[in-house]
Amino acid sequence: MSKIRIKTTKTLYGSSGEMLLNIDLEINKGEFIALSGPSGSGKTTLLRILAGLEKSQGEIIIGDKIWQRDKIFLPPQKRKIGFVFQDYALFPNMSIEQNLLFVNRDKELAKQLLKVTELYELRKQLPNRLSGGQKQRVSLCRAMMNRPKLLLMDEPLSALDTAMRTKLQNEILTLHKKFQTTTIMVSHDPSEIYHLSSRVILLQNGKIVKDGTPKDVLLKTTGSQKFSFEGEILDIIEVDVIFIAVISIGQQLVEVVINRKEARELKIGQKVNISTKAFSPNIRSL
Amino acid sequence: MSSIVATVSNIWTIDSLHKIELDFCGKSIFMICLELDNSIKVGTKVKLAISPSHIAIAKDFRGLISYSNIIDSTIVSINRGEILSSVELKFNDITIESIITTTASKEMDLKIGESIKAMLKATELSIIEVLND
Repeated sequence: MSKIRIKTTKTLYGSSGEMLLNIDLEINKGEFIALSGPSGSGKTTLLRILAGLEKSQGEIIIGDKIWQRDKIFLPPQKRKIGFVFQDYALFPNMSIEQNLLFVNRDKELAKQLLKVTELYELRKQLPNRLSGGQKQRVSLCRAMMNRPKLLLMDEPLSALDTAMRTKLQNEILTLHKKFQTTTIMVSHDPSEIYHLSSRVILLQNGKIVKDGTPKDVLLKTTGSQKFSFEGEILDIIEVDVIFIAVISIGQQLVEVVINRKEARELKIGQKVNISTKAFSPNIRSL
Repeated sequence: MSSIVATVSNIWTIDSLHKIELDFCGKSIFMICLELDNSIKVGTKVKLAISPSHIAIAKDFRGLISYSNIIDSTIVSINRGEILSSVELKFNDITIESIITTTASKEMDLKIGESIKAMLKATELSIIEVLND
């Protein structure tokens, strides 16, 4: 049981026209990979191709097992995968325990998984009695029930609030340590990626543009700048002898003092990188 | 982060740019900032913050300098690392930390108990908390 080899291409038709998904990737057993990149870059399609839910050209080989090559194409149920979706996808008419045992009648494993995720006491409940966080834990346990060779998670925590997200991150980490399941998780959340993954793959327009440790990929620094964000200039206001650039970063606005020369060169609407050295920011508990 | 508590004594404003004078243990200090919270007025007590690496130390200082805030202090401790040194400074009963290069701390021959001037640029100071009492 060793490496996973993925070499696949597929033409995708998205909102911005035709795009070639072209992936050549080798994954070591036990790796936890975060798959990141802008929407429409091919992340979900890649997961679906790996799961056997979509056809593509090329090959997928897991250790000595061929999932896809030439005429061979194993259907999803023949691939040993676990899939966790954003919207849980549980069977509403089955109890939590039945949802797990439907995949595999291994009662001992079900018990073990439900204990780790603190759901054992709730095992007889129906999914609609559970909170979002609990439902996602059930779907994670269910994905682990067939002892997958590859666990695929498509933004599993994005519908949850911050506190629940942190709790589930810890449980995902615990399960990963215990079962050493090779995992690919789509995520946009840097703290989640940093917390969980050992390797980050950044997709853009169907191609891998970065592949490295979370720090290498996520720390957007040049030179000695350590505090760096991407934003868009919304306004440049002259005050006294200085200029203030109003910049949107994520969900918030920031102001940065710039000089006359910068004010002349920067344009409203322009995408910019804002950075400062690690020595400057003040930090305070919330 | 080093922080000190001071009381606003004067505010000058041009559009969104402000210069604020504060009383810090009977001494005037100045800070420059952009947008200012409405709750901050003359008489408001605030907590000011500055990064230790933005506090310069001067010894036997003569002449003029553009730093708006020069505070007579005493060195209470020096922790010399290979490259950087952390120097604790005391002014009245307040202790603030300055981080300077070890080369500078050796060249200046800084010693515990010595009187020095701590220099804080007005643009590096910020208000982190409004203290209502």
